[in-house]
Amino acid sequence: MSTAVVQSAEYRNNQKRKDTFISIFIGIFAFVWIFPILWTVWTSLRPYNDIISYGIFSWPRRLTFDNYINAIREMKIGVYLLNSLLVTVPSVILTLFFGSLVAFVVTRYQYKFNLWILLLFTAGNMLPIVLTYIPVFWMFIWIGELFGNRNLLYNNYGGLILVHVGFQVGFATFVLSSYMKTIPKEISESATIDGANVFRHYWNVILPLLRPALAALSVLMTTWIYNEFFWALVLMSDDSKRPITSALRRLQGQYVTDFNLLAAGAIIAAAPTVIMFFVLRKQFIAGLTLGSTKG
Amino acid sequence: MSEEKNIVSRRSVLKGAAVGGAALAAGSSLSAGTASAATRLKGSTVKWTTRGGGATGDAIAKAVNDAFTKKTGAKVVAQQVNSDDFQNNFAQIMQGSPDDAFGWMAGYRSNHFGEMGLLADLTREIGRLKGSLPTAAIKGATSPVSKKPYIIPTTYYPWALHYRKSMVKEIGMNPEKIDTWDDFVKLMTLTQKKGLVGYSLGAKGGWEAMGTFDVLNARVNGYKYHIDLLNGRAKWTDARTKETFKYFAELIPFMNANVMDISWDGMRDLLLQKKTGAMLMGSWFANDFKAKSQADYDDLWVVPFPQINPKFGIDTIDAPLDGVSVAKNGKNVDGGKALAEFWASPEGIAQAVKAGDTNIYVSKSFDTSGYDSFNKQKLAVLAAAKNIMFFLDRDARGDFAGPIVGPAIQNFIKKPSDINKILENVQAQWDALPKQ
Amino acid sequence: MKSAATVQKKRSRRSLSKTDRFTLATFVGIPTLLQIILLWVPAVVTIILSFTYWNGIRLKDIQWAGIQNYKNIFVNNPLFYQALKNNAIWLAFFVLIATPLGILLAYQIDRGIKGHAFYESIYYLPVVLSLAVIGIIWNFMLQPGGFVQGLMGRDIGNAISIWGNPKINTWVILGIASWRHIGYIMLLYLSGLKSVDPALKEAAAIDGATDWEIFRKIILPTMKPVNIIIVVITLIESLRAFDLVYIIYGSPTIFPLLNLLVFQNFAGQGISMKGAAYAVILLLLCIVPIITYLRISFQEDIK
Repeated sequence: MSTAVVQSAEYRNNQKRKDTFISIFIGIFAFVWIFPILWTVWTSLRPYNDIISYGIFSWPRRLTFDNYINAIREMKIGVYLLNSLLVTVPSVILTLFFGSLVAFVVTRYQYKFNLWILLLFTAGNMLPIVLTYIPVFWMFIWIGELFGNRNLLYNNYGGLILVHVGFQVGFATFVLSSYMKTIPKEISESATIDGANVFRHYWNVILPLLRPALAALSVLMTTWIYNEFFWALVLMSDDSKRPITSALRRLQGQYVTDFNLLAAGAIIAAAPTVIMFFVLRKQFIAGLTLGSTKG
Repeated sequence: MSEEKNIVSRRSVLKGAAVGGAALAAGSSLSAGTASAATRLKGSTVKWTTRGGGATGDAIAKAVNDAFTKKTGAKVVAQQVNSDDFQNNFAQIMQGSPDDAFGWMAGYRSNHFGEMGLLADLTREIGRLKGSLPTAAIKGATSPVSKKPYIIPTTYYPWALHYRKSMVKEIGMNPEKIDTWDDFVKLMTLTQKKGLVGYSLGAKGGWEAMGTFDVLNARVNGYKYHIDLLNGRAKWTDARTKETFKYFAELIPFMNANVMDISWDGMRDLLLQKKTGAMLMGSWFANDFKAKSQADYDDLWVVPFPQINPKFGIDTIDAPLDGVSVAKNGKNVDGGKALAEFWASPEGIAQAVKAGDTNIYVSKSFDTSGYDSFNKQKLAVLAAAKNIMFFLDRDARGDFAGPIVGPAIQNFIKKPSDINKILENVQAQWDALPKQ
Repeated sequence: MKSAATVQKKRSRRSLSKTDRFTLATFVGIPTLLQIILLWVPAVVTIILSFTYWNGIRLKDIQWAGIQNYKNIFVNNPLFYQALKNNAIWLAFFVLIATPLGILLAYQIDRGIKGHAFYESIYYLPVVLSLAVIGIIWNFMLQPGGFVQGLMGRDIGNAISIWGNPKINTWVILGIASWRHIGYIMLLYLSGLKSVDPALKEAAAIDGATDWEIFRKIILPTMKPVNIIIVVITLIESLRAFDLVYIIYGSPTIFPLLNLLVFQNFAGQGISMKGAAYAVILLLLCIVPIITYLRISFQEDIK
């Protein structure tokens, strides 16, 4: 008994020392970790002429937000951000909506095909994009021609939204179905007994209960869809319709030597998701947890 | 100017009339504006794409497009796109909903996509411009398969050896006289001795090094062999091809250490910062020198890549031909054709030049009398060549040049001793290509 | 009791009206149709096209090629093997280094060191950035004229080759990819760690177990489901590595990866169905992780 006590005191001291050491290490490591981002922010705050005349390590003569103003003006960042908004928000809403529909049917009602649908959706989420992107393009053009308007889906926000939904709905379905399995069967049964039809069952009974999961997922989905840049490069031929992340490609080429302007542009592009992450951190983590650990 | 005299005397060796290139008359009679369908287009909208070019590109486009609007009453909506992305997604863009007209490149890129039905046939428009366009340029813009042109030629530029006169003087050589292989090697050696780069190359993009290969092959084996090689009539494993790579290997020790890290703009910067002796590149970058300072621009000089095999002299040059094409799937093909014609017409060209375009136009109406010495030298370099190639990735089929030859040359630069294996591989991949 | 429940169930199933059944069908049908049309049909089209010769423009130009494209890739194309090697190195790096680091980080942070919420956010930050932004950030750090070059006192003329040097660039790219991946894994693991009973850990510690033993014998087994998910995610993320390298290079010739090879061949100026073949090969490589993931995630349902 006494040896255990003595051991634990010694142990606790050891632990304290180890812990402080590890804390310091992780702290330093964290600074190194975030340094590239800090450097970009720093670059964005310095005027171009300073760097040209005095080099990148020079002590700043002045710090300014000029680069940001110029970025917004010259690089038309406002337009691109709006595009990102126009694409991301509907995509997230539709993805969650469709995901909840499928999860609802598959968990609340017993059908033989339930498992197959879940498998289909989950697997679909993991297919490599390059496997499908060219046939998707052809399909969009072909469908467009069927309806007499090539731009029905191609070069159209609608087409881009559809593609995002198609790709993300699998993950949403998977997560929401795991979550829905935790909703007691009794709730559904009492709803049915009360005479609710399927639609009321979904809309009035289940959907409100999904709020936490939907909140978490929406934060996750918004981040993923907003950050995506590849589809718009393929499906939007009008540069002025592209979301900010895709436009960065063009801007990077055009302003390749104007580091400071480009840095400001990159920071502006990154801002929405970063801000959302800090403000909604809990939801973010909850969303990830729901999706990857079961129960 | 005395420099001019020297240029002339060099030219007299080869009787300047370029067969494949453009014979530029220094006359300034801007022919009367080609009468496009002015009234027909009134009120319609034509869409234009500028491929890269930054602020200057936009300014040039605005000038030309505004003049077009004034003339025909048609509205022009212009956008600028990242050149690489445009090229990488070209097939998709053309099949989708492309802009009506855009700047494009002659050679495989217009011929192939024209034959596939994605670019409009511009025979009529070229016919109307026949007075101002040299036959050689028209021939360069015409597809050898369908005999139709899918591009109206506008500009071209030489790929040649650039260096800074001051640096050459510093190592004790005459900047006006770098015209043999030995001179060239001496320039690189002496520059390297000073601790700088002898020959700068940036191969990150995969295509830059093709310029060096093109010119070496043409110097060693001649224009005909090179074109044969690119089209499968000669073999990559042939001893003659290997000979070309032997000369290429001689250049490698003079190159910068970060060849794979930089692209063409890195090459340019090396020269701009006086860190390299010589550079083989297209002359389009000269604008950047001018933007930096007039002194830098005045220091810039260009000569034809020196002779290697006296049988071929310096009779061949890469001078890519650019122009304007019209997308068949554009909403306003008619308007696109008219706009394209305008861009290539003397009127349109005058607008572009006024707005700051420093390219060399093939049009006979193009006035070069006011040219500065560098530009005159560019003309001389072009005129010195009998045979004009467009550059490997325009002269060879698209699924061979970029994906197969580009990496092969890069791998060679990384490990020159592997050349036999590399060439066997390139030949095998050529043999495996499906017929087009 | 049981019979009453079954009677209830039977009643509820029988009481599904026609409207109800229609609603259910739509609920499932529309999303499924969307999935099939946008994902599965194009995937099948790509697979079929990999057995043809085509330049991607006119339908009438399609010719049957059998396995020629595959043969060409396997026999004639050194880029393919370079890409496979790079994909394999990427995978090994993620599995052996990046993911364990993420786990280690999660473990240390979980032990309640001061300010752990702050650290969580910092380490996770790269994950919320778009790869387009990450590409720009790291270019600022590494390109000729950038931070690291400046530290070494080199400007654009004598900058050491990073992106182009085959000995260095692999590790640099993997480093950047890990920068992101470690944060992701860390967060996943952290949330799982919260479910481990602290009393167990305390007890083992008092018994004199070292940290490593605690981790190995108590935490790891408890986290088994999370572990497997993390392994699978690691596999899939490394096979899908594309965006970052595309942003940095644009073309696959310097740092080939399977996805980049697809992109170079399937689209653009030199289209060939070799691109489709590359995509199919990539799919085949992904199938094992995907099926593993499915089996684990749904193992209860499958039984």
